[in-house]
Amino acid sequence: MSLLELKNISKIYGDLHALDNVSLNIEKGEWIAIMGPSGSGKSTMMNIIGCLDRPSTGEVIFDGKDISKESRRRLTELHRDKIGLVFQQFHLINYLNAVENVMVAQYYHSMPDEKEALAALERVGLKDRAKHLPSQLSGGEQQRVCIARALINSPELILADEPTGNLDEANENIVLGIFRQLHKEGTSLIVVTHDPEVGEEAQRIVRLDHGKITSDRKNEGFKG
Amino acid sequence: MNKKKRMFIRMITASLVRRRSRMIVALLAIMVGATILSGLGMIYYDVPRQMSSQFRSYGANVIIMPSGDGFIQEQALQTALGKFPDAELEGYTPYRYENTSIHNMPVTLAGINFDSIMKTSPYWHISGELPEQDGQTLVGAKVADKLSIKTGDSISAVNSFEVTDSTDTSRIPDYEIYTDPKTGEKHCDHALDLKVTGILDTGGSEEEYVYVSLGDTAYLSLADRGYDIVEISAAATQDKLSEYIDNINSSVRSVSAKLVKRVTASESSVLTKLQSLVFIVTAVVLILTMICVATTMTAVIAERRREIGLRKALGANNGSIVGQFLSEGLVLGGIGGILGALLGYAFAEIVSVNVFSSSIMFQPLLIPVTIASSVIVTGAACLIPIRSAVEVDPALVLKGE
Amino acid sequence: MFLRMVCGTFYRQWKKMLMIALTVALGASIATAMLNVMLGVGDKINEELKTYGSNITVVPQSESVISKLYELDEDVRYDYLKEESVNELLTIFWANNIVDFAPETDTTVTLDGNEVRLIGSWFNHHLEFIKKGTTYQRDTGLVNLRSWWDIKSGKWLDEQELNGTDYCMVGETLANEKKLSAGDTIRVKGEHGTKELEIVGIFESGDDEDKCIFTTVTAVQELTDTSGLIKKIEVSAITSPDDELAVKAAKNPSLLTGDEYDLWYCTAYVSSICFQIQEAVPEAAASAVRQIADSEGKILEKTELLMSLITLMSLIGATLGISNLVTSGVMERSQELALLKAVGAKNGQITRLVLTETILTAVVGAVAGYFMGYAFAQIIGQTVFNSSIEMNGMVAFIVAVLIVLVTLVGSIPAIRLVLRLRPSEVLHGGH
Repeated sequence: MSLLELKNISKIYGDLHALDNVSLNIEKGEWIAIMGPSGSGKSTMMNIIGCLDRPSTGEVIFDGKDISKESRRRLTELHRDKIGLVFQQFHLINYLNAVENVMVAQYYHSMPDEKEALAALERVGLKDRAKHLPSQLSGGEQQRVCIARALINSPELILADEPTGNLDEANENIVLGIFRQLHKEGTSLIVVTHDPEVGEEAQRIVRLDHGKITSDRKNEGFKG
Repeated sequence: MNKKKRMFIRMITASLVRRRSRMIVALLAIMVGATILSGLGMIYYDVPRQMSSQFRSYGANVIIMPSGDGFIQEQALQTALGKFPDAELEGYTPYRYENTSIHNMPVTLAGINFDSIMKTSPYWHISGELPEQDGQTLVGAKVADKLSIKTGDSISAVNSFEVTDSTDTSRIPDYEIYTDPKTGEKHCDHALDLKVTGILDTGGSEEEYVYVSLGDTAYLSLADRGYDIVEISAAATQDKLSEYIDNINSSVRSVSAKLVKRVTASESSVLTKLQSLVFIVTAVVLILTMICVATTMTAVIAERRREIGLRKALGANNGSIVGQFLSEGLVLGGIGGILGALLGYAFAEIVSVNVFSSSIMFQPLLIPVTIASSVIVTGAACLIPIRSAVEVDPALVLKGE
Repeated sequence: MFLRMVCGTFYRQWKKMLMIALTVALGASIATAMLNVMLGVGDKINEELKTYGSNITVVPQSESVISKLYELDEDVRYDYLKEESVNELLTIFWANNIVDFAPETDTTVTLDGNEVRLIGSWFNHHLEFIKKGTTYQRDTGLVNLRSWWDIKSGKWLDEQELNGTDYCMVGETLANEKKLSAGDTIRVKGEHGTKELEIVGIFESGDDEDKCIFTTVTAVQELTDTSGLIKKIEVSAITSPDDELAVKAAKNPSLLTGDEYDLWYCTAYVSSICFQIQEAVPEAAASAVRQIADSEGKILEKTELLMSLITLMSLIGATLGISNLVTSGVMERSQELALLKAVGAKNGQITRLVLTETILTAVVGAVAGYFMGYAFAQIIGQTVFNSSIEMNGMVAFIVAVLIVLVTLVGSIPAIRLVLRLRPSEVLHGGH
């Protein structure tokens, strides 16, 4: 069953076609890597998938509904309810500790619950660091907090933008391990990256260049 | 809802406590504003009272004279003084003048009350001491100069008159009465022996008298009578003084009270100017500090655009973000207001003690006013930058630099 | 390159820089306005206090004593001052501080069988004379020296408007007693003749003068046959409050050391002005009217102290405000500065960059603030005293030093923070 369908979408900033008539279908439970060099339109695509932005033309069908014409407010609700975001720069609130950062996502979603938040941190192996502030955590730990935060509301889709871009190899492996675990549990994953190693972990690899999809292939080596 | 509220409070406290350095920066700005408001406010309210007591160094501002040819009797005086509130009456000095001669030169003796004279004539410069008891005298500089009197001298004031059958001689020592061998008339040289304790220098007509106690004037003149004039120093505005004076003139017929215009008219004009000076200074400084608070809050919020973007990406609507930041601002405003109000009071007290050597009159109303204004100003200062900050596109902010 | 980076900052960060400049401008304007008001308030209040009347009287050195009282003066001979002596007041060092003065001469006259004191003085006299090639002129008289007089009926005697000398103003008490009103003519008999004086106005003074008649100097001189002579000069001068030096000098100026003497002579103490008057008019004795001089000193001192404490507080406020914003301004730029560090800038270079930028911004702000402060000072002056406040050159200097110091101090915590930053931390998502 299709979770998300992009139909002929374009995003135009002035003269620049950040996305040029792109179509993409994402199945539920699929793990997709979107790859490409800088300026290829990865981030724009991610923003549109993450309901942070609307395409200039084309349709975005999420869970069977076209959301490309929805109001910003409705989009906010949608991504809050269905999507968990993981950022390259982590974007943790620096004055809140790990568990509180996770709880912020609950707060805006439904109801903060410290136990659930702690459980989410446990899943990413950070239970003992729950009371630390972001500045006291390593980059990898911060990214894991970010993942815990993305998981906390049980989203249908986790959208990760360069999740390992700022991590060393050891931490990269931990993060990828968590992704594998999530995939096993049936969560849909979209990972935007330019790192081939990270890309090769996915089930399906979509390559973008100059706003167009240049290749879309099943990953033969997927260890799933 | 309860858990949500708890989280809300948790976020705000975390923001205030863990972002200590930035919050202190903002708090300082608010506190400075609140301190200025409460400190200068208290000074503004208290300036007329405090300065007014300084103006008392001009001396008496009300005089009481007999309304006819008579004298002021003690009872009438007390009734008249009763028209002044106790707190405003700084002091009064009755004067009784007697003509006499010293070293065979005519001199006017002024009987006064030495205890109160420095209240009604604080500008008197005395070289030597102020007399403390009967038999001592303070001599005006001009008299002293003319008669070559120095501090420490003993002088005699003499009241010479003819003794007739009607004269009451019971209070005159026998040796002072003599009979003129030629005419056979009886004369008396009634003398008052005085020790000069000091010379008075004022630059005015006060230097032309010799001051003794009221008892001594009565002794010398052999008559108990009232006073010629009474000087009163009262710490009140010209309007109030006029009111008391009208009151006295209508209820005590035997005396007539007058405003010393030269003192009161000028005093009220200077006081008004001074108060409006403090007022406008407070206003200018306050406006400028308010702008300062606003710019600081703008800077503090501008710093958190990324956080705002993230919260939006996590699904916060504009209202909840405004709510959170505004609450932070209001808490800051409240704390800054309370600290500032107290600091301002301390400042006003220091100023008052240093300038006027007396405590400031505490204005309880200024404390809530200060706190409320700093909360309102901080809130308003937050609201403007937040409203533009929440319009930010989370995608743009989160993408990076 | 350094310059280019500085320019670059202004170009890219103009909003933040503008904010810092604005705060500095505000702080500088508070400082400028308050300091100017503080330095000017003494003069302004002093002018206000002039309404208390003269604070110096000048009399002949050998004036006899108990003149004014109880008709004891039959056998007392007066010595007089020359009327021209009045001119000398305008030639002394502190002439500009003498705001008003008027000669006075008096006599006892008979009015309707009662003895009344008749005082001759100037009302709104125009004094003009040439001495050693310099023209001196001044409008002065009782109009200013008796500003508290309440004109009950009629008006002030206007010497410029009225021709001749036979006019007078009568005190309220006397007017009531004799049933006199403005427009009446009274006949007064003096030692050397009689005069008819037209009453121009009835005044209330609230003191003994309510029982007197005020007329022109010439009228009294004619009645007493003392042409060109006066008994006293009342002087109202702006003075500095007495301090230790003044007290020391008051005892005996000759005991001062040379430097002390110069300082005393060139300060507008009551005693030094008196001293200079006596130098100019050797036959006169000038003395302070203690009631006025002392009280003025006290009130001035209190006002100045009050204003300086308020100024101090405003300065502290302005200082905190500026350093506050400089701090948060630099903090905001921590990312950019960390980037510089990441590309290999040394701490010293970053510090130099930040300080240069901040101080340049502050200078612009301070100049703007100085002029704003000037405007504020003028607003205060006009609102409160109806006159402009003089700008003191010192203030510009003080404000400049203050602003540079404050900006430097304000930058310290921010720079320390920047220097502590590890570039990776800032660039990788921390704030």
